[in-house]
Amino acid sequence: MFPPPDPVSYYQAMTAVDVPRFVRADGPDKVTGSGRYAADLQQPGMLHAKFLYAGRTHARITRLNTEPARTIPGVLAVLTAADVPDVRYSPGVADRRLFATDVVRYESEIVAAVAATSVEAAEAAVAAIEVDYEPLEPVTELEAALADGSPLVHPDLDSYDIDDGIVAHGNTAGFSSIELGDAPAAMATAATVVSSCYVADSCHAAPIEPRAIVAQWEGEKLTVWSSTQVPFDARAGICQTLQLPTNRVRVIVPHLGGGFGGKCGFHFEAHIAALARAARRPVKLVFSRREEFMVPDRRREGMIVDITTGLDDNGHIVARTGWIAIDNGAYIADCAFFPQLAAMHVAGPYQVPNLQVEAHLVYTNHQPSGSVRAPTAPQACWALESHTDELAATIGMDPVEFRRLNGIDNDTVGPSGQHYERTGLQECITAATELVGYGRDLPEDEAIGVAIGWWPSFSMPAGAYVKIDDDGAGQIITGAQECGTGAVMTLRQLAADELGMDPEDFQLVYQDTSAGPYDTGATGSQTLFNNGRAVVGAARQVAEQLKALAAGQLEAAPADIVLADGVGSVVGSPGASVSIAELAATAAGGELLLGHGSGSPTQAPEVGATCVGDQGMAAWVSPQVSCHAVHIRLDPDTGVVRVLKVGAAHDSGRIINPMGALGQVHGGVIMGVGQALTEITVYDHDGHQLNPMLLEYKLQTAADGPEIEVKFIESAPGDGPGGAKGLAEAPNVATAAAIANGLARLIGHPVRHLPMTAERVWTELTGGIDSTDATKRQEA
Amino acid sequence: MAFTIATTVDEALERLADGARPVAGGTDLVVGARQGKVPLPHDLVAIDRVDELLTIGQDDHGARIGAGVTHDRLLSNPLIVGDYTALADGAALIGSPATRHVGTIGGNVMNGSPAMDTGAPLVVLGARIELRSATTTRLVDPLELWTGPGTTSARTDELCTACLLPALPARTGSAYVRLEFRRAMEIAVVGAAALVRLDESGSVLDLHIALTAVAPTIMAVEGTEVLMGRTVDDNLTDQVAALASEQASPISDLRAGDRYRRHTVGVMARRAVQAAAQRAQGTMIDVPVNRAIGIGAAR
Ligand SMILES: Cc1cc2nc3c(=O)[nH]c(=O)nc-3n(C[C@H](O)[C@H](O)[C@H](O)COP(=O)(O)OP(=O)(O)OC[C@H]3O[C@@H](n4cnc5c(N)ncnc54)[C@H](O)[C@@H]3O)c2cc1C
Repeated sequence: MFPPPDPVSYYQAMTAVDVPRFVRADGPDKVTGSGRYAADLQQPGMLHAKFLYAGRTHARITRLNTEPARTIPGVLAVLTAADVPDVRYSPGVADRRLFATDVVRYESEIVAAVAATSVEAAEAAVAAIEVDYEPLEPVTELEAALADGSPLVHPDLDSYDIDDGIVAHGNTAGFSSIELGDAPAAMATAATVVSSCYVADSCHAAPIEPRAIVAQWEGEKLTVWSSTQVPFDARAGICQTLQLPTNRVRVIVPHLGGGFGGKCGFHFEAHIAALARAARRPVKLVFSRREEFMVPDRRREGMIVDITTGLDDNGHIVARTGWIAIDNGAYIADCAFFPQLAAMHVAGPYQVPNLQVEAHLVYTNHQPSGSVRAPTAPQACWALESHTDELAATIGMDPVEFRRLNGIDNDTVGPSGQHYERTGLQECITAATELVGYGRDLPEDEAIGVAIGWWPSFSMPAGAYVKIDDDGAGQIITGAQECGTGAVMTLRQLAADELGMDPEDFQLVYQDTSAGPYDTGATGSQTLFNNGRAVVGAARQVAEQLKALAAGQLEAAPADIVLADGVGSVVGSPGASVSIAELAATAAGGELLLGHGSGSPTQAPEVGATCVGDQGMAAWVSPQVSCHAVHIRLDPDTGVVRVLKVGAAHDSGRIINPMGALGQVHGGVIMGVGQALTEITVYDHDGHQLNPMLLEYKLQTAADGPEIEVKFIESAPGDGPGGAKGLAEAPNVATAAAIANGLARLIGHPVRHLPMTAERVWTELTGGIDSTDATKRQEA
Repeated sequence: MAFTIATTVDEALERLADGARPVAGGTDLVVGARQGKVPLPHDLVAIDRVDELLTIGQDDHGARIGAGVTHDRLLSNPLIVGDYTALADGAALIGSPATRHVGTIGGNVMNGSPAMDTGAPLVVLGARIELRSATTTRLVDPLELWTGPGTTSARTDELCTACLLPALPARTGSAYVRLEFRRAMEIAVVGAAALVRLDESGSVLDLHIALTAVAPTIMAVEGTEVLMGRTVDDNLTDQVAALASEQASPISDLRAGDRYRRHTVGVMARRAVQAAAQRAQGTMIDVPVNRAIGIGAAR
């Protein structure tokens, strides 16, 4: 009906940035349907896997009988804990096994797995397995879980393997604190002290592709196709739990249908590999939507945040204290660094000379939490930034002015005692507020809320090869993983820049642990930051080779050769040139054009703070900062909030691929709108999820998208290639907070419960009691 | 498992008499089965290619909408948008473009959900539902058709063949408004339809209100007679809101609590009456009302 919008002019209309045309390498496959996802794969003789889940949130298994399942026609393997090596795993705290042994700790804990010739036979077999349980008291409330005498989720925690630096005991899976100066003493001198409490519910990553895995053995060698964001982690998990050497296991990721962190970590690859070995056939697992919501150890953690800030007479922050409880769920997954990261977000990108923040990661009988895009940040930023508007209101200062005064700036020290030489925060505040016209008159049901946020760049090992074939076209072979961010696609641009070629001259070989060198995967906004370094290193080696070849042909010194526009030429005499294709053809008959790169990850800076339970999260490499200003309208009769426009200004260092970068900000903002208003995972009293479906778990749709205008502040270069920092998670940090601040202006006080659903907003407007409201709960 | 594709009503009725269940767009039946609500019936007859069910016709008595007419046809049909606007408002809110493209009015009516979006509009517009079996044809009042959540008084051998709408007098307008938390892929939290007929001076001659998702079935609001002869002002719409809130008997579930539903159904009723009155006066309000004014409007 409508002609498809030209992507370039579309983005130019949406943004203040100039956008060069750059088509993603995986774009055509995805939009034409020719791309294959893990669930599309078929192998001869392939079986179908189904899991038996506990169905109760805390119970002891008293009897388990799989015999009835084995007699069902078509069933070729039935596995329980007894059939796999007895290995406990998980980074930080080794607190789980592939299958439940004695106690089940959340409703989707896997008790048994079945492989059968049809999905129906596998389902029948799962239903036939007999299990008796003795109920145990579920732990579902954070404060109660931390209280003395609470039932314990892991009574034997002290006997588990726990990494150095992790403080775990009782129902605390991890405790971290950040302390700078003397917060209590400074607080006592403050002219104004404001305390706030906020509660955030948990929510989900909800990628559109439910996960799928295919495992196949050939002799002693295992190949696993998995919809994972982190194939090397998946490989490590398989090797650890099934006790296999790394070089016998290959993990390949076909096209990935979104992840948002939900597909980070090692999940079910080992279960499927074990089934395939037992059945001597390839085995496939495809999750239903319900399973995608309920089973993986990836859920955005619920959180309680108490913050107190003291100000001097001029409105400067003199001290801040904070207490955070994070719902870890039943197993730690990758949450070990969450407490310290949450503490950094409650401290915020402010100049806080005296800080004391404590964070508890709390075991409960909920589904385990795990990295979802910018873990801990949207909730903690929402709490801090709502609190910040309360501070400004208390002293009668404009909230934007308050942030200018107290926010970090060039050559200032932040709350963990880290010195920031350059930061774009102040420019972000100016840009975002200008984008939405902060300060202008609005109708009485409309308001603009502003929030600032930050996020580190994660410095990691990475590796890549670059080669140029006989026809002059290139290949980048990398361990990097794509989850939709486009970061891997942008690697082509980096190689092309080094070699004077066109990005589209390069093909990518990626998402295969046996092809590319190690990479951390599509996690921590790290791909371009680290793999970019590797690709630039590899491309530079090839550039040296090309220059030497060109120098020979053009009778010049290699140092005088420049590579540009597909040719090597002599500086100062552009007539003397030879095409890269010609050089490649020559090389093909001799020493091949082949480079490799890795490079050293940037070292973390020194910080002044004292950290208990230190996970390295108080010292940030290349910090990214942002400001979101959001124009909203409230329907006071129903509490429905509509986001009209978002101005998003980001310092993510130098932007290498503006179109990809804009996509990240747009996506992060939309996710933030959902977290702010509609996305909530609802539990019953015992910790069962009540809305594991897209009808009742309300993601934002395209029709809900606000106008989003983006500005990139590039004045504070990062340590990544060409001055880049990370980007994928930062846009998800400040949106919910900015919406909250707009809403608080309209209501007269903040809504202290995230998401700020229409019903909660209406309850606030009518002065009613929301029984789950934090302040009310504390009074009760 | 048997699956037949009927091409005539008679063929479909024969299959129903044999125990088959009809499937039109399948957006309730198949989706519900996949969610594990009710297993897929073993004997199905597809009715989406029965031409007789696909027409929208008009005569002096009013309009006849074939049961197989899809929501996207309803929301763009000039007769429905012009004369029976509340129905177009409702159809335009259903699911997504894909849902509206295959979901039918017959399926919506016969599925009998208390949250259905064509139900309240059909009630205020005075619709009659035509049910046919191999041997009988009857017209039923939709409020008598729906007997509870997901249940109807139709016999298993009866097919819904059409919805009949009476011709509407001049200066009549209708509207349907629902409370939704997002602008697509949503199910009514609550909703309200209104029909308003005004005389030349703007006084109310006729006013009907029906409510969505606040009772086991779509329900009509009673006691609107007291509003006759009055103008549609804040006083009147306050009274409308109060009537709707009082008569609703909402439940608490995942989507909303009962207190909130009881309050907001009044708000929806007020807005539906306001929009219907404006349309009765000849003011154009685009379909659906939800996007033009009120919840989620872009302004
Ligand atoms: C994603 C999604 C979003 C949705 N959003 C909405 C929404 O916003 N509002 C809303 O009201 N609904 C919504 N629905 C529900 C559904 O789309 C509608 O109710 C639709 O009108 C059903 O029509 P159908 O033709 O698909 O019915 P089917 O699924 O084919 O049938 C539904 C039931 O009616 C019976 N039936 C169908 N036709 C006849 C007939 N002619 N005579 C007798 N019995 C019949 C069937 O046997 C079955 O029991 C949504 C569904 C989905 C999947």
